[in-house]
Amino acid sequence: MTPKVMARLADAASYLFMLVTLLFFAGPLLWLLSLALRDRREIYLGVSRFIPKNPTIENFISVLTNNFFPTYLWNGLKLASLSAIGVLIVALPAAYAFSRFNFRGKGLWMMGLLAFQMISPLVIMVPLYRYFSRLGLLDTHFGAIMVYIALGVPLAAWLLKGSIDSIPQSLDEAALIDGCSRFSVFWRIILPLSGPGIASVFIITVIAGWSQFLVPFLLLTKTNLMPIGVGIFAFQGMQNASSMQLLAAACLISVVPAIVVFLALQRLILGAMTSGAVKG
Amino acid sequence: MEASRGRKLAWYQRRFTGAPIPWLLPVIVVIGIFYLYPVFDVFRLSFTDATLIGDRNDFTLNSIINALTSPQLPGVIMATVIFVGGSIVGQQLLGLAMALVVIRGEKRRLLGTTLLRTTALVAWVVPGIAGGIVWQMLFSEAPFGGLNSLLRLMHMHGVAWLSDPNIAPWSTVISNVWRGTAFSMVVMYAALKGIDPALYEAAEVDGATTMQRLRFITLPQLRAAILVNMILITIQTVNTFDAIISLTGGGPGRATEVISLYTFNIVFRNYDLSGGSVISVLMLLISLVLALIYAMFLPKEHER
Repeated sequence: MTPKVMARLADAASYLFMLVTLLFFAGPLLWLLSLALRDRREIYLGVSRFIPKNPTIENFISVLTNNFFPTYLWNGLKLASLSAIGVLIVALPAAYAFSRFNFRGKGLWMMGLLAFQMISPLVIMVPLYRYFSRLGLLDTHFGAIMVYIALGVPLAAWLLKGSIDSIPQSLDEAALIDGCSRFSVFWRIILPLSGPGIASVFIITVIAGWSQFLVPFLLLTKTNLMPIGVGIFAFQGMQNASSMQLLAAACLISVVPAIVVFLALQRLILGAMTSGAVKG
Repeated sequence: MEASRGRKLAWYQRRFTGAPIPWLLPVIVVIGIFYLYPVFDVFRLSFTDATLIGDRNDFTLNSIINALTSPQLPGVIMATVIFVGGSIVGQQLLGLAMALVVIRGEKRRLLGTTLLRTTALVAWVVPGIAGGIVWQMLFSEAPFGGLNSLLRLMHMHGVAWLSDPNIAPWSTVISNVWRGTAFSMVVMYAALKGIDPALYEAAEVDGATTMQRLRFITLPQLRAAILVNMILITIQTVNTFDAIISLTGGGPGRATEVISLYTFNIVFRNYDLSGGSVISVLMLLISLVLALIYAMFLPKEHER
């Protein structure tokens, strides 16, 4: 066989592999979409109606006008965005210190921070639940946001350090010599220049907060406080075989915002993630 | 002029290099309250007979003995090992294969390369709880179950994806591989891009086959990435809770009750705080050992 034929054969094999994996990854979400667009009778027709005969958006309307669903979405957005702001406030100064200061045990501090990331949220939730119940923080958004912040800080500090590292240190030094304080260097030079890094960490944290389940599941038991993840789990418990189209629609509504934001900012997010992963 | 500038700079550096603590204070407070103290408390609680509702708080070793000799524990460990092990193998192999094909596709300008990468990443962004619901709709044996109705359409027998205790653990693995592979692919992709092309050129000169290049260049060069990947997948999968509770809820019976679900059930269903703390400590030790391995192998990444 000539090399050209070999390459063609390898191309064909690549295409076959790509087709199969594409089906594996896209199939489940397309199936969700297919179910969400059906009416109650078509649900029983399985794959043969992969493309519904009479696609309807009735299910989406029904879910969105449900008493609780808009509240779930709003709570999800509120918890995710407020906690992302909190994560930035806590992690940015630390990231600056990790990037610019030389102090003893810096590597150890950073590894220690990363090690916390490896602790299951469930482990800390076991005792936290008891404190929160004593402090009256159960069923408050404030309590949940504080835990979200703690869970998000380690990764955020690492990613932000990477982004601050890429700002030339000579800028800091020039400003310091001109009489700037460390804080105003941080505030006037570092923060504006690490805009893209801050933005990507913010988005990553918001997406993680939107996906958060365990913390609100344990801390927030009142329906009007639940964020989307918990809400949809409660919704799943209320459905039966004849209302799968509603569950599919609800599920799709909870998934789409995360996907859209991710697709829009894919380059930014992956850049931050891989630079962090490569640096450790 | 230069000298005074240098002196001033040295003064600033002296003054500030020793004072990282104010900058680290927010992190120290948050981590201290929400991680450090709870972790200490988990250790303490595992030596008590505390319950979630009562005020009992006497020190005893019985909780540890009871939790570790529980007849349910071997089953839970087994389910966790299948879930984690299956996910590691599945995500590594699929992630590596996809990264190789994506790189080849980019080089040969094959159509759909970007589509494949993006689709896998979309699955990665899907929240765990929603992922569990999606896969339940695929695995379900009711008429709306996607996979079985596809099998029936091809005149094959349906599979008891979620109701056969021997099959259900593997179904959870499939759903987890679906969600997790994109991350492995990204790590592998970055690592593959980092391999020195001169190695492949040399292999070509020596007349190495594709398989030989994979075995003697690609895989050895990827060793660090594979290890880092393995540990990250393990930690993530051991801690997975949402995707399992919405897919199987631990069933059928207790066939898919992994360690995180087990801890949750002990503490929040049986109100056995001390017993749950013992299992939490077990989870913590697993994480700690993995973190140490991770830390041990990490410097090699920097040297490269």
